[in-house]
Amino acid sequence: MTPTLFLLALFDGIAYAALVFIVALGLTLIFGVMRILNIAHGSLYAIGAYATVSLSGWALAMGLAPILAFPLMLVSAVLVGLLLGGPIEWLLLRRIYDKPEVLQLLVTFAVFMILEDVQRLVWGTRPYFEATALQALGNVTVLGVTYTVYQLILLPAVAAALLLGMRFFLRHTIIGKLILATTEDREAAQSIGIDADKVFLFTFIVGAALAGLGGALASPTTSILPGMGADMIVLSFAVVATAGLGQIEGAALCALMIGLGRSFAVYVWPEAATLVPYAIMVAVLSVRPQGLFGSSSARKI
Amino acid sequence: MTAPLLETRNLVIRFGGVIAANDVSLTITAGRNLAIIGPNGAGKTTFLNICTGWIKPSSGQVLFEGEDVTPLPPRAIVRKGVARAFQIPQLFTEHTALENLLIAVAARDRLRNPFMDLHRIPERDEMMHLLEMVKCADAAHRPVVELPEGQRKLVDIAVALALRPRLLLMDEPTSGVASSEKHRIMEILVEALAERKVTSVFVEHDMGIVERHAEEVAVWNAGNVQLRGTPREILDHPDVIRDVIGEAV
Repeated sequence: MTPTLFLLALFDGIAYAALVFIVALGLTLIFGVMRILNIAHGSLYAIGAYATVSLSGWALAMGLAPILAFPLMLVSAVLVGLLLGGPIEWLLLRRIYDKPEVLQLLVTFAVFMILEDVQRLVWGTRPYFEATALQALGNVTVLGVTYTVYQLILLPAVAAALLLGMRFFLRHTIIGKLILATTEDREAAQSIGIDADKVFLFTFIVGAALAGLGGALASPTTSILPGMGADMIVLSFAVVATAGLGQIEGAALCALMIGLGRSFAVYVWPEAATLVPYAIMVAVLSVRPQGLFGSSSARKI
Repeated sequence: MTAPLLETRNLVIRFGGVIAANDVSLTITAGRNLAIIGPNGAGKTTFLNICTGWIKPSSGQVLFEGEDVTPLPPRAIVRKGVARAFQIPQLFTEHTALENLLIAVAARDRLRNPFMDLHRIPERDEMMHLLEMVKCADAAHRPVVELPEGQRKLVDIAVALALRPRLLLMDEPTSGVASSEKHRIMEILVEALAERKVTSVFVEHDMGIVERHAEEVAVWNAGNVQLRGTPREILDHPDVIRDVIGEAV
């Protein structure tokens, strides 16, 4: 492997890890607080990407500045959180918190299947490309390797900011503490007057918006097509499970591990590239079933 | 005449074949601490659960300061001013004692910037003072998981007081505490309640504590109040000596 290829693999891995982490952060937040593994998280990611492409395509057609693609990503993420996340929690999940996990999985899987078809209905099966945001930021050359600023700097910066922001949010802010308190003991939370239903709704909307944001940020770097949600839910689940469910910092590290593993495999042993994330997950879980950072006593978030 | 602090009217509930509340009508007067005694299974805890909204009665009403609170969820009843302390302290064990109080304050007042730093809320000093009142100032910055059971009980009461209740319902406030410590804990607790002008209702098996800390006693049996009176009247009553005290000893 030449130094150039090494750097390329490194940059690919970091950019990819940043995206996977953002999606995994939402997944692990929802699981940590609500104990629900949301398969539909993958669809929310895909719809975040589609929404961004549609919105920025519309903005370009209106002759608006390309830089508007960035705020439109945020708009897409918020729309996914509010218009999809909100109703999913409010209409469906709220009814099944005390039901067996198998049923919860089936329900979120059903939502996933429904949303997959909704995507085909709304956006068809033709792939979309919309790289305005990627081009707007230009390229940077590091040690002789030219790479996009968007992937090399923006994506990791957003991921790092979300990691630090989520830590601060949960450990210091009032709402974060109320979420942690509800997570630790729902009954005790209600007995001091916390509205656990609202806490769960808010958490789910934030988690769903993170999936949407992941999709929005991914949209300029990849072609948007049916099935992308399935790929992402499996991968982000691998990250979350390898780290230990509910482990936020752990998810960041595992996303990096799996992202880099995958990108180096692409250059070294391309046939195995899609296999590498799962090989890492299986290797970790066979030694530590609770995940790298999870404790066996099921400490939450 | 002013309305009683809390009043129940004809509460009825059954679990399977067991009648846990059998037409319970009871009034609680502000400033008069009421002890509830009686054999296991008499419906004492069920009564507390109904008053705080955790269990809905099949029929009957709970009125707090004259207002019907029967249909309200527990969190709404807490906001009206009825707090509850469970037999096992319900604390967030990974947080410090002070944080537990701050979380309670934050939950109490909705009109607050939710993104504010929890430790910067203006009631922080008041909460430190509450911890001092229950003699737990030294535990303020320690995670609850590290505290001994007696101290957890007191922190739990401080959390309840942080909600600014006018009535506090306690289920065996001194259970799980070494007998040598029971009286000390109860004294701290009663003093703190008096200072905050909170009336208490407590389920208790220790007659020494009942005699010393209650103004009134209600004897529960088979889902209803069998007797009610001052501690002296009740503890000397032959039925009580036979049915309740005999069992407790």
